[in-house]
Amino acid sequence: MVKGKRKPVEEIYSVISKYSKILIVGCGGCVSVCLAGGQKEVFELIEDLKASGGSAKQMDSYTVERQCNMTFLAELDDMADAYDCIVSMACGAGVQYLAERFANIPVFPAINTIAIGVDREIGVYEEKCRACGQCVLSYTGGICPVTKCAKGLFNGPCGGTNSGMCEINNQTPCAWHDIYTRLKDQGRLDDILKIQAPMQWQNQVQRTIVQDAYAERYAK
Amino acid sequence: MENLELDTTQVKKMLGKHKAKMKFYLGMCAHCSLCAESCFLFNSHDNDPKYMPSYKFINSLGTLYKKKGRIKQETVEEIKANIWERCALCTRCYCPFGIDIPSMIALARSIMRSQGVYPQYDEEKAHPLAE
Repeated sequence: MVKGKRKPVEEIYSVISKYSKILIVGCGGCVSVCLAGGQKEVFELIEDLKASGGSAKQMDSYTVERQCNMTFLAELDDMADAYDCIVSMACGAGVQYLAERFANIPVFPAINTIAIGVDREIGVYEEKCRACGQCVLSYTGGICPVTKCAKGLFNGPCGGTNSGMCEINNQTPCAWHDIYTRLKDQGRLDDILKIQAPMQWQNQVQRTIVQDAYAERYAK
Repeated sequence: MENLELDTTQVKKMLGKHKAKMKFYLGMCAHCSLCAESCFLFNSHDNDPKYMPSYKFINSLGTLYKKKGRIKQETVEEIKANIWERCALCTRCYCPFGIDIPSMIALARSIMRSQGVYPQYDEEKAHPLAE
């Protein structure tokens, strides 16, 4: 799931300080699970904003099930116009969809979207995927070099690997050392010799996914 | 578990706003169970009837309409389970009669959220899907 972390209250307050009536919108999706932007966190943010100088402002809240789905954003239609601005506690996708729905109202993010990640513990999340669109996990023992390698190398290791650690510091594991070790344990070292074509990072445009079963319906 | 005092005025107001459509949907359900196969949670829980989309909306939104928001704590817990633990609101459930099941679950969730009832992910328990 998408993982995020709430912005410092000072940063959020700085963008809403000139507004009087503020609607804070939580998201019941990924950011609820990672304890960053769900209904509970919305209430906490209101308390923090009031304690940071916003006690005279009207701050109301509403949590939709997912801000990345227009059906759920429609629940805000009757109330949004009554506010000077909206603070979204969703990920970057949700903030943009909310801003698209209410294009005449300033929409501000309260969350820094960090990663596609996993739940190590309750409250502890680890990045696992950068959605590069060219998954090589089949050849890397299920360890993502784009995410874990400091250089994001598709083919590694580089010359900076040192006793299992990365050259950037001795506390950061070398992704390609871990990949080598896992492939070796599985008897799949041949996979590391398969050269992967470089990622085409240049000229990237906003991506849209249409699943094959829906290709005909949405053909342009 | 503490007893929850529902604000029945607010609940009835929310129910009333969508009453015509939702009551129509509730009356339209023929209990044909065809929606069941479209629910991945129903399929992954050994076809447990409690995961049927129709069961979930009847025993959440249907209960709220029937009881006009006056429900006991144990019913709150049952509704919470039906609309969150047993439903991902993936919006993929299908009704051959055209009942918009996701909108019913979504309304039930909105009503419960308005009463301070929502999933608590920081509780020291496993995720319901992992149980």
